[in-house]
Amino acid sequence: MSNQNLNQDNHGHSDDHGHHKETFISKYVFSMDHKMIAKQFLITGIIMGTLGMAMSMIFRLQLAFPDMKFPFFEGIMGHWGKDGKLDPNFYLALITIHGTIMVFYVLTAGLSGTFSNLLIPLQVGARDMASPFLNMLSYWFFFLSSCVLVSSLFVDGGPASAGWTIYPPLSALPKAIPGSGTGMTLWLVAIILFIASALLGGVNYITTVLNMRTLGMKMTRLPLTIWAFLVTAVLGLLSFPVLLGAGLLLIFDRSFGTSFYLADIPADMAGGIERVGGSPILFQHLFWFLGHPEVYIILLPALGITSEVIATNSRKPIFGYRAMIGSILAIAVLSFIVWGHHMFITGMNPFLGSVFVLGTLIIAVPSAVKTFNYIATLWKGNLQLTPAMLFAIGLVSFFISGGLTGLFLGNAALDINLHDTYFVVAHFHIVMGSAAIFGMMSGIYHWFPKMFGRMMNKSLGYAHFWLTFISAYCVFFPMHFMGLAGVPRRYYANTAYDQFSTFVDMNVFITIAALIGGAAQLLFLFNFFYSIRKGKKATQNPWNSNTLEWTAPVKHLHGNWPGDIPHVYRWPYDYSKPGSEVDFIPQNIPEEGQTDPLQEMASQHNH
Amino acid sequence: MKILNRIQKTSFIFATLIVLSLGSFAQTADEGAKLFSANCTSCHSINEKIVGPPLKNVHKKYDEAWIIKWVKNSQEFIKSGDAKAVKVYEENNKIPMTSFATFTDLQVKSIIAYVKAESEKAPVASAASASSNVATDSETETTDLSDCINWLMVVSFLLLIIVIGLMISILEKLGDIKGKPSINWIRINGFLLLAFLILGMAAVVWEFYYHTKLTVNAQTPASAHGVIYDSMFNITLVLTGIMFVVTQVLLFWYGYRYKHSDTRKALYYPDNHKLEFIWTIIPAVVLTVLVVRGLQTWSAITDRNQNDKAQVIEVFGYQFDWKMRYAGADNKLGAHDFRKMGVWNELGVDPNDSASKDDIVTSELHLKVGQPVVLKFRAKDVIHSAYLPHFRVQMNVVPGLPTQFIFTPTVTTNQMREIMKNPTFDYVLLCNKICGSAHYRMNRKVIVESAEDYYKWLSTQPKLVAENTATAESDSKALATK
Repeated sequence: MSNQNLNQDNHGHSDDHGHHKETFISKYVFSMDHKMIAKQFLITGIIMGTLGMAMSMIFRLQLAFPDMKFPFFEGIMGHWGKDGKLDPNFYLALITIHGTIMVFYVLTAGLSGTFSNLLIPLQVGARDMASPFLNMLSYWFFFLSSCVLVSSLFVDGGPASAGWTIYPPLSALPKAIPGSGTGMTLWLVAIILFIASALLGGVNYITTVLNMRTLGMKMTRLPLTIWAFLVTAVLGLLSFPVLLGAGLLLIFDRSFGTSFYLADIPADMAGGIERVGGSPILFQHLFWFLGHPEVYIILLPALGITSEVIATNSRKPIFGYRAMIGSILAIAVLSFIVWGHHMFITGMNPFLGSVFVLGTLIIAVPSAVKTFNYIATLWKGNLQLTPAMLFAIGLVSFFISGGLTGLFLGNAALDINLHDTYFVVAHFHIVMGSAAIFGMMSGIYHWFPKMFGRMMNKSLGYAHFWLTFISAYCVFFPMHFMGLAGVPRRYYANTAYDQFSTFVDMNVFITIAALIGGAAQLLFLFNFFYSIRKGKKATQNPWNSNTLEWTAPVKHLHGNWPGDIPHVYRWPYDYSKPGSEVDFIPQNIPEEGQTDPLQEMASQHNH
Repeated sequence: MKILNRIQKTSFIFATLIVLSLGSFAQTADEGAKLFSANCTSCHSINEKIVGPPLKNVHKKYDEAWIIKWVKNSQEFIKSGDAKAVKVYEENNKIPMTSFATFTDLQVKSIIAYVKAESEKAPVASAASASSNVATDSETETTDLSDCINWLMVVSFLLLIIVIGLMISILEKLGDIKGKPSINWIRINGFLLLAFLILGMAAVVWEFYYHTKLTVNAQTPASAHGVIYDSMFNITLVLTGIMFVVTQVLLFWYGYRYKHSDTRKALYYPDNHKLEFIWTIIPAVVLTVLVVRGLQTWSAITDRNQNDKAQVIEVFGYQFDWKMRYAGADNKLGAHDFRKMGVWNELGVDPNDSASKDDIVTSELHLKVGQPVVLKFRAKDVIHSAYLPHFRVQMNVVPGLPTQFIFTPTVTTNQMREIMKNPTFDYVLLCNKICGSAHYRMNRKVIVESAEDYYKWLSTQPKLVAENTATAESDSKALATK
């Protein structure tokens, strides 16, 4: 490997001077530059996120005011909002597409796609990804997938409406729900394209981290962001193919008359062919075999970003660097043996349930270690409370709140009465939704200068943070109590059982908080797009950070560094090191008496 | 012979029709009301659009024969190209109505009679409640955004935000000119973090105080295992509550306490194995407690040895309602086959199985207090989930995969009404797995009562096979002649 590094370094250098001429298309559209691809992922993700959020506003209005008519519903949704009343089928379609967009398109592709692409080559010291071409394909598969999903909003019968988990038989039988017609087919196509994108990206991330680190960048000198991205990519590579399999079998059931997931369905329900012998629960096992690691595919990059942002802005080394890596690895391994906790009440053998309880609750240990390490990093720090730092602190707060409610749901006995209630909605929107979005926001505010060479407006950033933070808690915290009262999720209205009428006020409150939170995102959108063109010019290292990306010039170069790739002499967290005048020492500064890794290696070769 | 057979059959049908019609004309609307509430309410109401359109005056818009055809098999009807049928289908977003092939013409007619009676009643009813409507109307008007005052408030609020924004940007520009920032954002945000901690914790306490009483955990559990469920819940709540307060306080307090200052340098403190060890062990110990207690609770609740004494009740889920089947005196459910679901036999029960003879199918779930029951779940079309929150009971209802839940109800509906001081309270069986458009309406009352009341109710419920013998026989005869 050391030989490869040597070659790459020299090779990369000469490469830099012999560039092809860039046209508009090769620079902005079919770009193979990881920095441009990162921006493409980010902007696509932001557009999808805006769409997903707008959907949540519509169904929140419905939940708060089930008897009111909103004439603009008809304006934006046509016959699905006839006379200003949201159609119950379209309500289900909205929650389905909202979930799909947020989980896959924003928090997987938008988060991991953006920051893995931007940071992996820059932070490990590589000129680009291992395969820039596959990287480009990865984005365009994602783009195509987004287009297919969005187009499914307009087909006859509406988009997929069986919940983002698309459990068959509901998702397999168009007769059961209109969204399981063309809409569901398009959903499956979109997800298959998405999986292709995720796999192409993942292969690239892993290869780049393992093989293309610059000289001196040992695995134990990698920033925690890179560790998080690496482990995320491995998780994705191992679990997404299972979803692909699950999706293909569902396509067979839907279109070719098989019965993988269907049992005891009479012919007239299922396109004229009687379906016997399959198991609907099989799908759930396959789905959650991806679905649970997926939670960590979403969360780990956010936690990686937080580690970096908290250390930099605390002006302190991250506490327990090795323990942080250890807990990332532990979470990753455990995440593969806990999927059954989504299925405690499917009728699975109670003993099997017990095994999943054990695994699930053990995950809380490495998670707790991470939390305590974040808090210990803040202790006696000198905190630069930038918007990025506030979002990182917000993430830790959500990670605690949402993680602890996981201890209720992960315990099979307690899950009996909480499963599929609003308690679950509260839990995962806090720990996975809000926490990961906050990690993404933290990353955007922190690396915006690296991406666009300009700074985002600080005061708008603060307003954005506080409004989002407060409204997110106001939206999701009260939902725990609705769940404890037995209010099921995915209900179009809570009007059919009298006892739930006690929550009318709470639903109105939640909706108002959600609308404020939604409006706050407009501040962000304005700030983001305005700053791309008109923001203050960024300096090369605006946060006085140690990692390698800040040694690259502000203006983007194909190949990242104009001269040699910097060599690495130390770990990335030498902040406020005693004996140093400045409070940061970048990774490319040698320690006293340290020789250049290149010479070191050459001398080793001579021996 | 064939002709004779046919004559025999038609005369038989005529005879039954005459007998039935004589008996039922008097009580058509009553019969219709029963049928309506048992079959239609999950998608329809008289005056409001739910999933399907409101049914008010439907008898004026379509003739009876058309309605009967539509109710029995609307999809076939649409396919046949009937203009009216296609129009209804399209007006309702192409959502097919469930076919009720099991209904006789007379039954549909009785539903129409009921709808007719209700349609005529409707204006009176609304006139009666007019006074209360006026009150709610004026209320909605004041909260309506179209109200001038509200618009003014919105506009002035927006203006205020713009003014604040302008002020901040002017101050920032001034700071740029002076070379030192005129707003100390770090100080402001440090204080905001502290304020968030204090107000947030106060809000959490307030929530627990006001909203806990709305939860089922605040009520007496209505089942035997509910007691151990609740104690497990409380243990988890206390342990996680302590962790929540400690970690959130430290997080936000440090955020405030260690905000940036030019005079201070951060402490270089990269690691401490002892600390790492401590905060790996503490969560590990807490989790051991939760796992051990949790698994004890779990195995107690799911213990299958309780099976022998339990009374068997089948809960059958379909889009969008529930049916119960009581096993009768032999406590054995008759065999079933999804292929047999149909005309008179929604649950697909095998009429020839001797265990079926005494089975009773009902629309309500009645339970005898203190009697262990095993609910056996079965689904017709998609996955449903039977959720009885007050009993701490939930189990998925999966087509093709039998599931069950054993529990003992301990508090009668009447006792619970007294405990909750709510005379209209009822236990409920909810569907808790997304199953389609009327998922949110798929619920049934659950009634827990004394043995006396329970047997009284059960004796009024007709036996499945006995009731349908005539129909079943004519069915099998028809098959034989084919």
